[in-house]
Amino acid sequence: MTGETAEPARSGSPLTRIAWHCRNNPKRELWFAWYTTVIFYNIFFIVFFPVTHAQPPPHPYWSDALVANWFGHNRGGLLIGFGIIFTIAGATAPQNALIAYSMRRMSVSRVFPYAYLVMYSLSAIPGLLLLCVVLSVGALRPGRDPAQLHWLYDFGFLSYTGTMGIFLIGSLVWMLAILLDKNRVMPKWFGYLNLCNALTEVVVAPAWIFHAGVFAWNGLISWWVDMVVFGIYTGAFLMQLRNLIRREDFGDGPLPGLVKKPEAMAATLAGTAP
Amino acid sequence: MTEIAQASPEPGAGAQPSGKTAGEPARVVPGQPDMWVLVLFESLLFTAYFAVYLFHRTADSEAFLRSQAQLSAWLGTLDTLLLLASSLFMLWCVQATRAGAFRSAMANAWITGLLGVAFLVSKVTEWIKLVRGGHSFTANEFFQYYFFLTGIHLLHLLIGFVVIGVIIYQLRSPARRSRDLVETYAVYWHTVDLLWVLIFSLLYVVR
Amino acid sequence: MRRADGELILLWTMPVVAVIWISAFFLFPGFAHPMSPSMTAAQVAAFYRDPAHLSRIRYSMILFNWFAPGLIPLLMLIVMQVRRMAHRTPILSYCLLACSAGGPAIFLIADVFWLLAAFQPARDPQLTVLFNDLAWMTFTTAVPFLIAQSLFIALAIYLDRPGRLVFRRWVAFFNIAVAAALVPAAFTGLALTGPMAWNGLLPFWVKNIAIAAWIVVMSVVTGQNIYRERSEGSAPQAAEAPVAA
Repeated sequence: MTGETAEPARSGSPLTRIAWHCRNNPKRELWFAWYTTVIFYNIFFIVFFPVTHAQPPPHPYWSDALVANWFGHNRGGLLIGFGIIFTIAGATAPQNALIAYSMRRMSVSRVFPYAYLVMYSLSAIPGLLLLCVVLSVGALRPGRDPAQLHWLYDFGFLSYTGTMGIFLIGSLVWMLAILLDKNRVMPKWFGYLNLCNALTEVVVAPAWIFHAGVFAWNGLISWWVDMVVFGIYTGAFLMQLRNLIRREDFGDGPLPGLVKKPEAMAATLAGTAP
Repeated sequence: MTEIAQASPEPGAGAQPSGKTAGEPARVVPGQPDMWVLVLFESLLFTAYFAVYLFHRTADSEAFLRSQAQLSAWLGTLDTLLLLASSLFMLWCVQATRAGAFRSAMANAWITGLLGVAFLVSKVTEWIKLVRGGHSFTANEFFQYYFFLTGIHLLHLLIGFVVIGVIIYQLRSPARRSRDLVETYAVYWHTVDLLWVLIFSLLYVVR
Repeated sequence: MRRADGELILLWTMPVVAVIWISAFFLFPGFAHPMSPSMTAAQVAAFYRDPAHLSRIRYSMILFNWFAPGLIPLLMLIVMQVRRMAHRTPILSYCLLACSAGGPAIFLIADVFWLLAAFQPARDPQLTVLFNDLAWMTFTTAVPFLIAQSLFIALAIYLDRPGRLVFRRWVAFFNIAVAAALVPAAFTGLALTGPMAWNGLLPFWVKNIAIAAWIVVMSVVTGQNIYRERSEGSAPQAAEAPVAA
């Protein structure tokens, strides 16, 4: 299918090269999923941190009046920021699809990718969208009773921070797949990193109990340390998925090692016929 | 899979780093580098937890001291000895595996596990005693840290049981035996032990 | 050669489910003339307390609750069509799968909030307003997976083999148009009156008509494909599709 096309224009403008890849790169579906994921995380970060100020989370121990004040102060940011999330949250699907694909490439049963896909498909609802809806409702009417606003505030932040099980079990599923895999799709250390990520979901559990201190939903341990782990984990899996795509040979056996860029491009053009 | 695993070109029984070929010399680092990544990561993580604990302790050392007095130093010492002993047996398990004495290795692995179970029982008993005495997770700041640190450590211990289970399972059949795997997972067990020693020092000893 | 594999049955559940949804839509007193976000607490409370409304609210929402997931068989039939496309990997089918649960699940949450509001109409009007707000906001902003699913279908068609498209090109453009039509609904919180309010032109009329059109169009083109597959013989393109299960 791709054998007849010319060599990619190495000296063309970036736009020409991107267009060439969109039309001809045999791995374009995988790259689409990867780039969508990266772009989504960037937008997500910008929306959640500077735009809505939903992260780092405000304090659980605030009084009704302070909570009402927070909603009033952040009204525009909340409604616009979460509007953006409501538009693009479907971009979590390619990430889950790509990770499921990584497990499909492994020597383990198809049960693993399907289990992961199902779990993570639903994770966006309690783990992301509930917060967005509930805080949007809080921002909707400036005159709402502060006690109700406080209820919405608790609902939003607790559901977001406290949705743990999917990420816990999901990470363990991926970990198990990686450790059992004989196709060397992902390195074992990354399998163990999944364990670390799963454990952060345990560490965050006290957020359901404490209003203040290091275990509160914005606490030093339940949020800050967990965020560092999550950040490292996310960076690691984005890198691993990128390596997977670069190494992918569309076969069934062990995945070949990473090859330098020009040779890789020549190989994919010449070697991988449908 | 031969009796003593070597650096084999096959994608092996979970113990081969990627890209290894037959001609490479034996690795100097015992156990996979991958496991050391986990160990390093968890150690850094626990260091962060310890730092947070110490920082908050200095802010309110008297209250912390009072709560620490509720802990039994004897029980803590017993727990430490149990885990140290278990590490010793784990070490003998690795040595036996290297020497090809697989029955002995399995026996050592079982004893390691049993000592771990003894630790588990001791820890849970201690928790029950404390909670009955009114010192629960939510009682005060010190006990938040106490239950958190011992809890997360216990979780690592439970994972250690799975690890020992895998070692025993693999040692059982000649087809599955792998020195690499035993060495690798032994590293994990030693880490669990080390973490406990640090927790013991911080919570029970440092006053 | 006919295949008795049930796909046709699932396909023909769509018109039945559609009739039920349309009936429920008109049964609910707050849709045909959509409730405004700028109604006062007293008005909202009165809406739920009105005996002429109460049964209609409850029964329509119960109907929606029963049949909202009725969309999923259609979504799966579409996934099966995408799998037939000449793609290198099953990534796009996985993307569609990942989106499918989201739409109906979010709608069910909105449904629960409406039912809650109607369960104790005598409660404090401020609380009724809260449940009503939650219901309407959840319902109106429930677009992320629908937008994504349309864009994935469009992309899948773009990546399909040009000479032998499973879905024709116009289906891709139609999906992109639907996705665009759904975007304004995401920002409905910004307005309590006017065309951007949840009862306004864009978040209510354009969004719901777009969804309805999407369901009709996709049912028809998917149905055409299924019938064509059957008349051409069993498992026609599966042999040459590079993508396995």
